[in-house]
Amino acid sequence: MSDSFLGYRRPDGQVGVRNLIGVMSIMDNVNPVTRAISDNVAGSVPITTLFVRGQYGKDLEMSYNTLAGMGRNPNLAGVVIVGLERTSTNIVADRVRNTGKPVETVLIQELGGTVNATADGIRKAGKMAIAASKLRREKVPVSELILGLECGGSDTTSGLAGNPALGHATDLLIAAGGTAVVTETAEFMGAEEIFAEQAIDERVKKAFLKAVLDHEATAMQSGVDIRGANPVPDNIRGGLTTIEEKALGAMAKAGTTPLVDVLEYSEVPRKKGLHFMAGAAPAVESLTGLAAGGCQLCVFTTGVGNTIGNMIMPTAKISGNINTIRNFPDNIDFDVSDILEKDKAISTAGDELYEYILDIASGTVTTAEALKQQETAISRFGLTI
Amino acid sequence: MVRAIVLNPSDNVATLIDNGAAAATAVELRGERTGKVALKQDIPFGHKVALAAIAKGADVIKYGKVIGETTAAIQAGEHVHVHNVDSKRGRGDKLKKS
Repeated sequence: MSDSFLGYRRPDGQVGVRNLIGVMSIMDNVNPVTRAISDNVAGSVPITTLFVRGQYGKDLEMSYNTLAGMGRNPNLAGVVIVGLERTSTNIVADRVRNTGKPVETVLIQELGGTVNATADGIRKAGKMAIAASKLRREKVPVSELILGLECGGSDTTSGLAGNPALGHATDLLIAAGGTAVVTETAEFMGAEEIFAEQAIDERVKKAFLKAVLDHEATAMQSGVDIRGANPVPDNIRGGLTTIEEKALGAMAKAGTTPLVDVLEYSEVPRKKGLHFMAGAAPAVESLTGLAAGGCQLCVFTTGVGNTIGNMIMPTAKISGNINTIRNFPDNIDFDVSDILEKDKAISTAGDELYEYILDIASGTVTTAEALKQQETAISRFGLTI
Repeated sequence: MVRAIVLNPSDNVATLIDNGAAAATAVELRGERTGKVALKQDIPFGHKVALAAIAKGADVIKYGKVIGETTAAIQAGEHVHVHNVDSKRGRGDKLKKS
């Protein structure tokens, strides 16, 4: 088993697996300028967002934290932050500057409109891209990696092959000193008491159970009983008997190591080992939280096929469904269908997946990156004013 | 050949990964166990078969974890599903009372 990869060491000691320049919107009204800047600077990615203007309280803080978290992600060598005015732009810029990486702002009101702002942003991002290109990958230990765990477009094969293989790879990563973050709170409902037994102590156990019950209560306030109807009739026809079984299939991707801490959406792990991040299940929103939480890469299991990735965090699709491997090849990175088709041991597929994860960390590009299937969405709860 | 996968050595059920398993078929086990189990009834792809007799009210184990309890005695080779298994844990209504 490999215990190192080739990464970019950042000024604050974190290690990036990519060397990108982020061009980031501070709110939705500047997205066209953000895209125009990024379109004109090779090596840059646009990080756009919706809302922020008019958000308040918990929603506003979550938006700022998530944008700043994306900016702080070590896959970004530098960040150009685009805003309409100075105050809100600097709130996020200041939270990224403490990483020591280059941060510039583009203030559209002060620059006299979008044409000047676009030119200003291209100039700033262009200089950053050239400076970043002078950095070289160096050998770093696996303990520097934070792996995001995600699933979407799940089917019977997800619980039998994709998720168990990923769980094995997650165990190997953590045994080598690394960190993994599992999220998608709703997927734990029905087996939360079983997963809670994996908690390292009573505090973490209580925090995890509270996160699941809070999520359920929030949905209940809107009159939605997430738990009540599970497993749904489709699941039962497919062979799933109880909600525990359904949830266990999803959580198999977390592996078997102790759960060391519970995180808020977009919060960065402070320990090594397996973490749970409270968050929504839809992939774009979930991947954004993982990237803002410092995950440098993500493995995303799919049964029937899901295509989306994140702007700054390479996201690899793995599937154990032979039909998906055959009919959906453009968007699948790693094939574990041999578990079901050729009696390959889950542990063998998991060993190979672990090595592939380190390949991505060292620079191997995922389908979502190559085909630009990337998007950003930040969770929100309330109305805008 | 009809196959079923065992996900953990302590499981008392296996999941069929081939279609059209009919009664009297000998299913070959894969994954964390080897051997065969003779089906006592038709079981479709993705559904579970009992690897050994499971008493009424006993735990059904998959992934090495409890996925429910039986509502009737189940014999080796029988279909294990909603007709003879009920959810046991992780129910919000039960959790709130405890």
